[in-house]
Amino acid sequence: MNARLGLAARAAFTLLLAWLVLYPIAIVVHDAAEGDALAAFVSRPGEWRVLWASVWISVASVALAAAIGVPLAFLFEWLEFPGRRTLGSLIALPAVLPPFVGVIAFLFLYGESGFVARAVQRLLGLEQAPWRLQGAGAILLVHAYSMYVYFYLFTRAGLAKLDASMLEAAQALGAGRWETLRRVTLPLLRPSLAGAALLVFMTAVGSFSAPYVFGGGFRVMTTQIVATKLNGELPLAMVETVALALVAVLGFALLRRTEGDDILTALGKGTAPRRRPIRRAGVRTFATTAGWVFAVVLLLPHLTLVLVSLVPYGTWTTETLPPVLSLVNYRRLFSEAERLRPLVNSVWMAAASTAAAVAVALVAGILVGRRRPWQFRGPIEVLLALPWALPGTVFALALLTTFSKHDPLTLRWVLVGTTVLLPLAYLVRNLPVTGRAVLAGYRQLDPALDEAAASLGAGRWATFRRVTLPLLKPALAAGGSLAFVAALGDFVASIVLYTPDNRPISIEIMSSLRVSELGVAAGFGVILMVLSALVLGVGARR
Amino acid sequence: MSAFVTLDEVRKQWSHTVAVGPLSLEIPRGEILVLLGPSGSGKTTVLRLLGGFEAPDAGRIVLAGEDVTAVPPARRRCGMVFQHYALFPHLDVGENVAFGLTGRRTHDPKVAEVLALVGLEGFERRRVQELSGGQQQRVALARALAPEPRVLLLDEPLSNLDPSLRERTRRELRALIKRVGITTIFVTHEQEEAFDLGDRVAVLRAGRLEQLATADELYEQPASLFVATFVGRANVLRGKLAQILGAGPGEVLVVRPERLTLADAGVPGVVRERRYTGAAAFYLVETEPGDRLEVLARPEAARVGDRVYLEAVRVLTFPEERA
Repeated sequence: MNARLGLAARAAFTLLLAWLVLYPIAIVVHDAAEGDALAAFVSRPGEWRVLWASVWISVASVALAAAIGVPLAFLFEWLEFPGRRTLGSLIALPAVLPPFVGVIAFLFLYGESGFVARAVQRLLGLEQAPWRLQGAGAILLVHAYSMYVYFYLFTRAGLAKLDASMLEAAQALGAGRWETLRRVTLPLLRPSLAGAALLVFMTAVGSFSAPYVFGGGFRVMTTQIVATKLNGELPLAMVETVALALVAVLGFALLRRTEGDDILTALGKGTAPRRRPIRRAGVRTFATTAGWVFAVVLLLPHLTLVLVSLVPYGTWTTETLPPVLSLVNYRRLFSEAERLRPLVNSVWMAAASTAAAVAVALVAGILVGRRRPWQFRGPIEVLLALPWALPGTVFALALLTTFSKHDPLTLRWVLVGTTVLLPLAYLVRNLPVTGRAVLAGYRQLDPALDEAAASLGAGRWATFRRVTLPLLKPALAAGGSLAFVAALGDFVASIVLYTPDNRPISIEIMSSLRVSELGVAAGFGVILMVLSALVLGVGARR
Repeated sequence: MSAFVTLDEVRKQWSHTVAVGPLSLEIPRGEILVLLGPSGSGKTTVLRLLGGFEAPDAGRIVLAGEDVTAVPPARRRCGMVFQHYALFPHLDVGENVAFGLTGRRTHDPKVAEVLALVGLEGFERRRVQELSGGQQQRVALARALAPEPRVLLLDEPLSNLDPSLRERTRRELRALIKRVGITTIFVTHEQEEAFDLGDRVAVLRAGRLEQLATADELYEQPASLFVATFVGRANVLRGKLAQILGAGPGEVLVVRPERLTLADAGVPGVVRERRYTGAAAFYLVETEPGDRLEVLARPEAARVGDRVYLEAVRVLTFPEERA
């Protein structure tokens, strides 16, 4: 590529990204500063309480997820017991459940009229349900269930990278087992733990489904924003959006600093410590049993969803278990075109937004994936990653505001009420996933491969088609499948931006619940879960 | 001698202090030219300039009568073997070799032909990850040769092989290149490799050509102190001892270990170390003024602690270099 042309292309691409990612946020900040909404926000103690709730819920989520995920990771990475392999992969299952579907499954399982509550009520002969699944505790339960996976996976990956000889060196220098753990293992795991904490914090700050369904009177900022918007107080909603964005960015910056460099990869790798078999038979039996019980508990939400999806409308009232099971819900789903619409909508919007996000990431890779040239590389990388640091509600509201006005001179068009705004939101939300995957893939390519192709007579385009693209395929598949699944199960952006013409699955589930069509809601949930698992499975295959 | 490959005053500036050239080279058709130099001497840059992966800031590169200075690598028809081979991991051996062929069909007779040439008959369907280092190197060579390039460029292709394999491989490599008859430029930092492989050797230092000659000439008549010390073992002497052995004032004297003998008379010294190599032994002799000299002699010529006298058979002198 001609150097000047390349520079121009990179500059143009940076501007396009800025328009997609930065501009809507800037407009929200600008609008929030105007008028008296800011004063209203500051003077209402309720607003501060909600903001504080967002913060502490997120911090508590991190602590809970770490408390479950980290010990599990040590257990599965360092000890050997029957069923370790199967259980080890089962334990990552909550990742396959889209957040909103997970919340619904929890509702069916542990909610007031869920299976567990009914069983306890029957068992103890109670008049009423033994508990109400509501408030902060319920939110934290769902968060812990769905987010410990990050700590589990990150810690296991970190442990697998540990060099056994480092631990042996510590022991040879006289450190006992606990001292080795405290002085060698944990410090070496810091980047993994900080990475997981960052991921959990960002997910928890932006979490919408759990507070929306289980919050009751307890509000966090994400649900507050949507409520304010529904109240018609759009300026106040924008101030709230900015406040939430600030919390997220602050948390991001703080945790990012502690993450540090990955010292383990910098040192090069040795062999991971060998797994120790548990010798005492009693302990081994206990560990195995506990492991399986835990796995069943983890699988219960998935099973619940399947079971409820088989319950025909109006047949299940006070019994502990549903008396009638049939496939009637699925039959109706697939035979009535109007019922199938949300599925079609979700699939096409997810596919289109994923294709676009992958394409944008590829262009970024072509322009700045290599070591040289460096111009605009930093800005492009930051813009691609930015949507990840901001909650989905923030982007939904920002896009809503930006594209509710016709002013081509400031690059604003009316897209509100059209079917393209929601997929556009999915696209922006998915840029970090595809961008990271593709840029990392590019960085792993040996530049000599390009030169080898050139020396064999392949031009720029032929090299891209015959060498770069095939080698990037795993990265594209991994990024693309994650993006697709995220868009398919999205609820946060959808509830703000959907129109009657592009109602996605999550909204349909919500309205089915509202008219008590639990079976239909669960059926959609199952379809979403199966589709997600399939796509993720295909994406992970090499 | 008509040149097949010509570098004419080629220069490439990396930074204010680091530059290659101006450099001129003429390579006749069918010759194997080795670029020898320490790391940072610019030998790989010269190779990449020839391959078209770097553009020179000044000068001309002529290949078979065609000025290729501005021709992109894809149209230069230079076969290149990379240091880490750069085999395409998503293609099998046959597909790798066929990559540069028009039509790039793996059943092209050319694929079998070059694979046979490098001794890998029937390897077409193998995955490149399954191959040993030596086999990967030969696939890389076969891939470079398949499109019948005008020039073959090799960037330290033997540096990833273990030492025992390296020596045999470089002899096979030379025989193969001579059979094909292709003009070849080979980059290495190992003197032994350069002597074994090259018809002529170009010694580079800090981006400049120090000397271009046959191996014998480089060793016997080095053009500079740098060449004398970089090529082969050498005792470098300054001061009084140098003048005793025949250096003029302000000159540096170089004497190779095998050009020193343990005699009955001459410069007196004491044997401090003895390193036995089988056919001979290296003796480290400390002379009276404190110079330490390496001497190659028969294994039983002396023992550690012996008083000996040194005689120089042949010495080289150079003007002192200003750093």
